[in-house]
Amino acid sequence: MIRFLLPALFAFLFILESLFVELLPAELFNSDRILVPHFLMAGILFLTAYLSPKHGILYGLIFGLLFDIVYTEIIGIYLFMFPFIAYLAANMMRILQTNILIVSILSLLGIALLEVGVYELMLLIKITDLDFSTYVKIRLVPTLILNLAFIILAAYPFKKQFENAADRLRND
Amino acid sequence: MPQFFFNKRLIMLLVSIIVLVALIGFSLREREELTWPEQFIKDSTSWVQSVVSRPANYIAGLVENLQDLQNTYQENKELKKRVDDMARLEAKVYSLEKENEELQEILDKKESLADYEPIQAVRIARSPERWNELIIINKGASNGIEKNMAVITSKGLIGKIKSTTPFSATVQLISSIDPTNRISAILQADKPLYGTIEGYDKKNELLLLKGLPYNAEIEKGQNVVTTGMGGIFPKDLPIGKVVKVVPDQFGLNQTAYIKPEANLYDLEHVMVVKKSMISVDIEESLEDSEGEEEGN
Repeated sequence: MIRFLLPALFAFLFILESLFVELLPAELFNSDRILVPHFLMAGILFLTAYLSPKHGILYGLIFGLLFDIVYTEIIGIYLFMFPFIAYLAANMMRILQTNILIVSILSLLGIALLEVGVYELMLLIKITDLDFSTYVKIRLVPTLILNLAFIILAAYPFKKQFENAADRLRND
Repeated sequence: MPQFFFNKRLIMLLVSIIVLVALIGFSLREREELTWPEQFIKDSTSWVQSVVSRPANYIAGLVENLQDLQNTYQENKELKKRVDDMARLEAKVYSLEKENEELQEILDKKESLADYEPIQAVRIARSPERWNELIIINKGASNGIEKNMAVITSKGLIGKIKSTTPFSATVQLISSIDPTNRISAILQADKPLYGTIEGYDKKNELLLLKGLPYNAEIEKGQNVVTTGMGGIFPKDLPIGKVVKVVPDQFGLNQTAYIKPEANLYDLEHVMVVKKSMISVDIEESLEDSEGEEEGN
């Protein structure tokens, strides 16, 4: 039963992103800001730091594919971005120490990288025509603030969960 | 130097970029329907999502109801005023409808571009990434939903069906920028003006109605509805109201900014519209003998 805990947690994050966008009061959305939850990315980066890079990249691949099929219908973008950022974060973690503050900052950086990367891709395939300065103002900054709030709330539970999972892995 | 090229990681990265480009190219081309693994995954996730989303929406609804309670007194006052008007309007609509029916009977015109059958559906998920504005609804191909059908709320047009699976369907909202997503629309001025809805101003959240004649006099607050001539959408679905008008790039046309009538964020119940009048397939009708068409 306990083996399914991690996949279930990530499936929950996956659905939570959609629920969050559905249920957040319309006034917040109707203003000129665009808030995008990247809870899944934060989870994957914490997983990379506290469990193992292998797990992080694997979960990135699986949930990236799921995300693409279900939410964007353009296969490839998140399938590539999730594992790629997890891989970069894993390399960064080699020189940094696994400290909850550092991992939090690293995940925020990862989310910023994801946002900008996806923006560039979307610009490339002409899904959007937003110029960069407007993009930063109406989308990137509010998104980072939202995700920072999420990371502050979730950092400790994530750390505990993934450290427990690492313990279980070692004992097996 | 050679070591650089044989670097395993570099090759991995290059291969994955090639795969990425191939996959994006594959999914961006005009697809009639999704591949079966996609359909299967979408269906299973939509089932899970509907299980989670229903109770969550219910609780959110309760909170909203409590908030609404605060404004009840004020709203009630206003509504009472409207109710007085309603009776008069109802009588007028009734007589107009009847007259219309009779006139159509005289003309022997049985079908109209404005006829449609609505299919009720509930939103079960919304794309969180918000580049493509997509929502997923709980009715699919098995309920008779097909690609490109119009989707409305009680207030107006919100989008069209992007893809279907047996038990769910994805709706592309009118606010997503898609060069292939054009809607033929009428601006209801004294003399109806025709244009197409193309593009969305993300910053101000307004739709762009392009191709209006440069000398047309357009006022704020005029209504924009669908023409029904695109072959996909029925006629007279409300889209929105004019907010401002600007001359276009070359000064040959005018572009009107339209505020969508329907709220594109608070969408819980939607209707998928099935056009009753079957549009003529051009290729097919060209193959048919032309004599039959002349009779109509």
